[in-house]
Amino acid sequence: MSKVREKVLFAFLGIPTAICLGVFFWLASVLLSGFGTIKWNLLTASVLNGGYLEMIVGSAYLLLGAAGIASPVGVLAAIYLVEYAPRGRLTRVIDQAINNLAGVPSIVIGLFGYTFFCRQLGLGISLAAGWFTLSLMMIPIVIRGTEEAVRMVPNAFKEAALALGASKWRTVRSITAPSAAPGIITSILLGIARVAGETAAILFTSCVLVTRGLPKSPFEPVMALAFNLFVKIVALGESPDKVFGIAFILFLMVISLAAAATAFRIYYRRRQPWLK
Amino acid sequence: MGFRKRGMSHFLKRLKAEPVEVILFLCASSSIIFLFLMLLFIAKEGAQAFLTFGINFIIGSVWETNLDLYGAFPLIYGSLMVVAGAVVIAVPLGVVTAIFIAEVLPFSFRDLIKSLIELLASVPSIIYGFVGLLFIAPQVARLFGISSGTVALTASIVLAIMSIPTIVGVSGEVIAAVPRDFKDAALALGATKWQTIKSVVIPTAKSGILASIMLGFGRAIGETVAVLMVAGNVALIPTPPWNYLSPVYPLTATIAMQMGEAAVGSLEYSALFGLGMILFIVTFIVNTLADAIVKRESKFRSGVK
Repeated sequence: MSKVREKVLFAFLGIPTAICLGVFFWLASVLLSGFGTIKWNLLTASVLNGGYLEMIVGSAYLLLGAAGIASPVGVLAAIYLVEYAPRGRLTRVIDQAINNLAGVPSIVIGLFGYTFFCRQLGLGISLAAGWFTLSLMMIPIVIRGTEEAVRMVPNAFKEAALALGASKWRTVRSITAPSAAPGIITSILLGIARVAGETAAILFTSCVLVTRGLPKSPFEPVMALAFNLFVKIVALGESPDKVFGIAFILFLMVISLAAAATAFRIYYRRRQPWLK
Repeated sequence: MGFRKRGMSHFLKRLKAEPVEVILFLCASSSIIFLFLMLLFIAKEGAQAFLTFGINFIIGSVWETNLDLYGAFPLIYGSLMVVAGAVVIAVPLGVVTAIFIAEVLPFSFRDLIKSLIELLASVPSIIYGFVGLLFIAPQVARLFGISSGTVALTASIVLAIMSIPTIVGVSGEVIAAVPRDFKDAALALGATKWQTIKSVVIPTAKSGILASIMLGFGRAIGETVAVLMVAGNVALIPTPPWNYLSPVYPLTATIAMQMGEAAVGSLEYSALFGLGMILFIVTFIVNTLADAIVKRESKFRSGVK
């Protein structure tokens, strides 16, 4: 095959890539076209006055709480798997279970959240039930990201600490965890971004369409952007262009979180020379 | 890891030295615990439906809330139909994109394009559903001259767009893991770049690519909100069964739509958990198989080195 024909062939291989990127830019442009139509003062206005405040703050509450549960559990689990776990059947089963948990459909997580957290544990339709339910989706993401970050810390660092007489846990605390911190933070940010727009998991567990003001305790239901968008379109049948504002804010929130995670990773890759 | 002690015999000794390991171990086991609890609680709530209808819960063809009759076959069929359509659209696009990014694209572009596709993966499904309802459904209706665009085809298109990042991501990793020596050997024998891709890279990465498709399938069959918004939600098998221009009611959509009105403890409530059970088991099997393929691959490859 001649060089020219190969070039032509490669150009054809590029078409699907172009389609994928085209879809992304189309999606972004469709949603960002809402930029002009948004009335910015509505962001801080109460829902009762046609604003978005309770939805935005409610979503933030949900995400921060879920991250507060998933981050320690996920990070400690990853440290166990990389630094402590013996090579054996139990470790392999744990590893497999993490993948399987990541693969459970969000609607099934929602069903479980409803019967376990809301009913069995008696949390009811509440912020706290939403935290636990969403954290189940975040934990596998945090574990996988943290594992990678911890693995990248050079062995020489750890061996130096151990040689100085530090215990294993001391080494993890003072050497491994700080060196892996940027990667850990990236994985937490990615975890938050992944569940930020999650609808199915909070559908039955923590949200209502309207609340009077913000929730005063974790045991009250909240409003959330994704839930409101869903109910308004699907259940109330409002025309899509009427709820464009909510979709736009949600898109902006999720994309900025994901972009922040990526930017953070790239920045720290450069700052930490041992990561190539 | 030089200081990792092997085997369970050391476990108790280490435990005495570092009690913190218990906490770490509990965190790591949380995934197993919650998977187990999930199975237990969903099975418990869904048991009544399976006991009432027996095998007809899965193969029965009438899903009618008013008659309190729950046969999930039309819903299972709807899910499979939508996902099959999505796979047909997404797999060629995704796999070729992954090959293009890993093997053809200049190195400096690679990170940028990969980041953009990662970004695409984080767009929430409700946004895809929203855009599908607002822009894709009307186009489908106009193109095929049907009155409503919320049909199986639209759901397949939306789902395909959502699955592409997963397929590109995972198969990209597999392709990048093909050892350099393999490619260098082919090039040194005088193969062109395309010949190398065709006869070295693709065959080596084949089963990994299959795994990425299975992972994409697992993701797609559990997708709820986006599919629900554009699938039309009619619990009937289309006539003829391959008619992609008729509405369908996937499993996930049924759960999301009917949970709100189902009284706790009713037969309907139990039937919805029964659907959850079906989904849980199907995705569990698909994911486990996909993982097994990936693991076997990496073992084979470390054996080569």
